[in-house]
Amino acid sequence: MSEPPGHGLRGDDSKHTIEKTGHLAPGDGSLHRTAPPGHGPPGDGAIHMPEPPGHGPPGPPPDARSRGGAPPILFAYASDLRSANPNAPAIDRRLAAAIADADLATLDPLWPGSEVLVLVRAPWDEGPCARILARGTTTPGWFGALLPADPLWLLPVFAVLFGVALAAGPAVRRIQRLAARVRRSAEGGFSEPVALPGDDEIAELSRAFDRAATTVRDQLRENQRREQALREFVANTTHDVMTPLTVLADHLTTLRERAESGGGADLATVAAATAEVQYLGAIIENLGLAAKLDASAPTCARAPVELDALVDRVVSRHQTFARARDVALAGATLETPARTLADVTMLEQALSNLVHNAIRYNAPGGHVAVLLERPAPGRARLRVIDDGPGIPDEAIARLLQRGARSDEARTREPGGQGLGLSIALRVAALHNMTLELGRSEHGGLRVDLTGDELEPRRA
Amino acid sequence: MNERILLIEDDPELGATVVARLRRAGYVATWWREGRHVTADDVRGVALVILDLMLPGVPGMELLRTLRACSEVPVLVLSARLDTGDKVHALRLGADDYMTKPFWPEELIERVRARLRRPALQRGDVIELGALRLDLAIPEVRVRGELVALTRAELRFLTALARRPGQAVTRASLAERVLDPEREATARALDVHASRLRKKRGDAVSIETVWGIGYRLERAP
Repeated sequence: MSEPPGHGLRGDDSKHTIEKTGHLAPGDGSLHRTAPPGHGPPGDGAIHMPEPPGHGPPGPPPDARSRGGAPPILFAYASDLRSANPNAPAIDRRLAAAIADADLATLDPLWPGSEVLVLVRAPWDEGPCARILARGTTTPGWFGALLPADPLWLLPVFAVLFGVALAAGPAVRRIQRLAARVRRSAEGGFSEPVALPGDDEIAELSRAFDRAATTVRDQLRENQRREQALREFVANTTHDVMTPLTVLADHLTTLRERAESGGGADLATVAAATAEVQYLGAIIENLGLAAKLDASAPTCARAPVELDALVDRVVSRHQTFARARDVALAGATLETPARTLADVTMLEQALSNLVHNAIRYNAPGGHVAVLLERPAPGRARLRVIDDGPGIPDEAIARLLQRGARSDEARTREPGGQGLGLSIALRVAALHNMTLELGRSEHGGLRVDLTGDELEPRRA
Repeated sequence: MNERILLIEDDPELGATVVARLRRAGYVATWWREGRHVTADDVRGVALVILDLMLPGVPGMELLRTLRACSEVPVLVLSARLDTGDKVHALRLGADDYMTKPFWPEELIERVRARLRRPALQRGDVIELGALRLDLAIPEVRVRGELVALTRAELRFLTALARRPGQAVTRASLAERVLDPEREATARALDVHASRLRKKRGDAVSIETVWGIGYRLERAP
């Protein structure tokens, strides 16, 4: 793009020709910044890029110029030839007219004084740097002795500048295109791809954007899914809690009415109310746990859990409920304590659910037993058996399948293990434990929750 | 009985019901309505502390820490929280057990009793349970001082139950300890031993069948 000095550089319409100005005497070092391309910026910062308003120093003071050569100064203008830099000179009307249909324009040589002005059109039209004005001077300076007297040698500087601008043009245009695509994609929830063809850094950047957009999109989708799940959860929870509360209110009313009419204590009603309270407590505990388990990365605070104490707690917790339903409940632990690594709240709730179901779906006069055993060295098993109606084999398979999905498991289905079993299954999975359902030798259901036992504690 | 229990619970209603329950169950209950700096003097003669973790004043965990520094009294922690961290932390700080709200009054009393009657394991050579006395060094079994003749298997059976009075012992565990694998292959043999034992030692101590588990020696009243 750069033509040799002395040939004159013409605008693409040939109207504006740069000619010799002839003001520079030999030995005059007015412009000491004429480094050939590739030498990089001068160490003393002689080429001043215009600063935004209020920042940085203005151009060199006039006395510096007159005293012996000042560096060329660059000023940036938008395509309407306004500059954000308050120190930028107003563009001469002639220069403005010349740049309108040319890539490079300068004032004709009749311009008085030692100042040279060259206006360059950048390959882009947007932004504050669409036009660049270079102001040089031909005032003599000490460095001038090494430089040709002809100010025309200024041209290579500007030509290089212009060339760099032109070379950068396609890249800048691609960056602008990428920016526009990213903006559009962001407005559309990052659904549109932004990737540009090619194998340069900009294409690479665009692909990186796409990958980032995919992550953002997945996150958005996950958040929407969770929000939806939470809404359903609250709705279902309200229903789940309100139903037993209504039943409880009815039982209490029955008791009050009987008391008012002088009737004795109605044990059946008290038992039913007790069962509903137990059911409510279990629901709320399960819901709290379900919320934890529904998190995309369930937090599981693992610590050694004394399984004997766990069995004792669960059995004693359900005694009142069992007595109210006339079901005998007993637990058996080992002679030597067994421990496992687990989240004690989760494991206790899992076992509670199994025991709760065994009592709830048993008939009056029925039995439930909870056994802690060692089925094999290094393994500990929590077994819950009952002599209730049990569950047919095909229903067990279905329960296990559906139980893994809490949304389907929450309904009180007939034979109904519901949310409780689902939670037990998920807790087991989270702890690398197995949960097996089978037929107990006493006719009812047998559920085994088996996991690794921790090394016995040394006293 | 008349064991002393210290309840530290800020909720007035829950505190009042727990105190009433404990007194009805025969315990002497003291009630602190807030967390205080506890000293060894505070818990002298106290058989059990029931501690709520969420307390005004000195927080429950802090109280537990200072309590453990000056006393070995068993502590049953009450917690309304689902948080595993709290439970694990409380146990590490030396709590003996915890109970989550809501709980049934019977549950509370049962847990208190279970806590107070430890250690449950009878390890020595002599086991005394009410009218029943086993001396394993000889070995012999006496009911109200009267020698009872038992077979070796029956003695093993009774010993296994008597070591964990009040607790159900599984058939598998009993079979392992009692039965001779060459002669009594079936676990049904256990029922035979149990039935003979019941006849031999009269009504001094009752051997209960526990559904789905095995047998339990009821502790003496």
